Amino acid sequence: MKKTAVDAVIRGLKAAGVSVVCYLPDSLFKELYPALDADPDIRTIRVTNEGEGAAICGGVFLSGKRAALVMENSGLRASVEPLARMGLGAGIPVVMLMSYRGDIGENNWWAVPHGITMEPVLQALRIPYSVQRREEDIERAITDAFELAYSSYYHTAVALSGSIVR
Amino acid sequence: MKRFDCMTRLGERLSDELVILSLGASVDEWYNAAPHMREASLFQQQLGCVTPEAFGLAVGLPHRRIVSLDTDGGMMFNLGILATLGNEKPANLLVVIWDNECYQSIGGPPTHTASGTVDLAAIARGAGIKQAHTARDLETFDRLCAEGLAASEPFVIVAKVTGAVAPKLKRKHSDGREDKYIFVRHVERTEDIVIMGPSEHN
Repeated sequence: MKKTAVDAVIRGLKAAGVSVVCYLPDSLFKELYPALDADPDIRTIRVTNEGEGAAICGGVFLSGKRAALVMENSGLRASVEPLARMGLGAGIPVVMLMSYRGDIGENNWWAVPHGITMEPVLQALRIPYSVQRREEDIERAITDAFELAYSSYYHTAVALSGSIVR
Repeated sequence: MKRFDCMTRLGERLSDELVILSLGASVDEWYNAAPHMREASLFQQQLGCVTPEAFGLAVGLPHRRIVSLDTDGGMMFNLGILATLGNEKPANLLVVIWDNECYQSIGGPPTHTASGTVDLAAIARGAGIKQAHTARDLETFDRLCAEGLAASEPFVIVAKVTGAVAPKLKRKHSDGREDKYIFVRHVERTEDIVIMGPSEHN
């Protein structure tokens, strides 16, 4: 990611009131994670799998603070069980920001399944989402995801693709 | 050692703490053992999520003591949270693992702790949680609760309890969604904050 895109993500998170980020690092967001770690206004929590991160974000919601789950889109599959339980069972929302592996332009065979499964899994869970491919749209996409999550008390997601991550 | 007796002892020590607990018979037991904590308790329904949610709550409310009432089956569903706690070291989180060595709510088939070879407290210590202990009698459990509620580092109590459920319990009628509203409104009132506020227009 370019520094300008990293900055746009962090601007969006701050504009949405986020003070906690749970993440499991990936390659497309490689430059984002150390920038989040270095930001004095954001507490980062590294997790062992994305489902654990989703549950921690749910707990942060219950405290009145705002959290985001940052990950590769394969992490969505690892998060399905806690997302279904918290979101559909209790109305505890998690906002996710994920890199879109397997999108048009993918050059790794192992990432192809991530592209095949991401949108159907989001749709199966009825999670509203947007896919962003232009840097100038990142900040608004993140604040919009939080607006809807806090109106619906349900999960939302933003996937970053195209020249933002490649 | 019976879980209900342990819950009664723990409940006597709690007042302004917040509790997140696991699914199954422990829900109705906690509802009856600590009736003064009903609004301050979030009854959650999933294996592997209870302690992570409690940790998230502890991160967001660092001045407040948070209690996770997890289970052997729930903790083994996501042992990774112990590594996360070992590194993050929350100063306000007490984790109690009710280890009845079975999946009680579906009739009692054994978990991996039933073999006697899997030691959850040792796993927690191996993950960097220095204060991780096993209680096999009520006095030890009670003493560990006192220590854990006063600790300034993550504290884990593995409570070895029987598979028996306390009889004639008053059932909790609310579902997960109502439980969340009750809990959130309690947190809002006691913290003087807004978590689920009004929309732009009514």
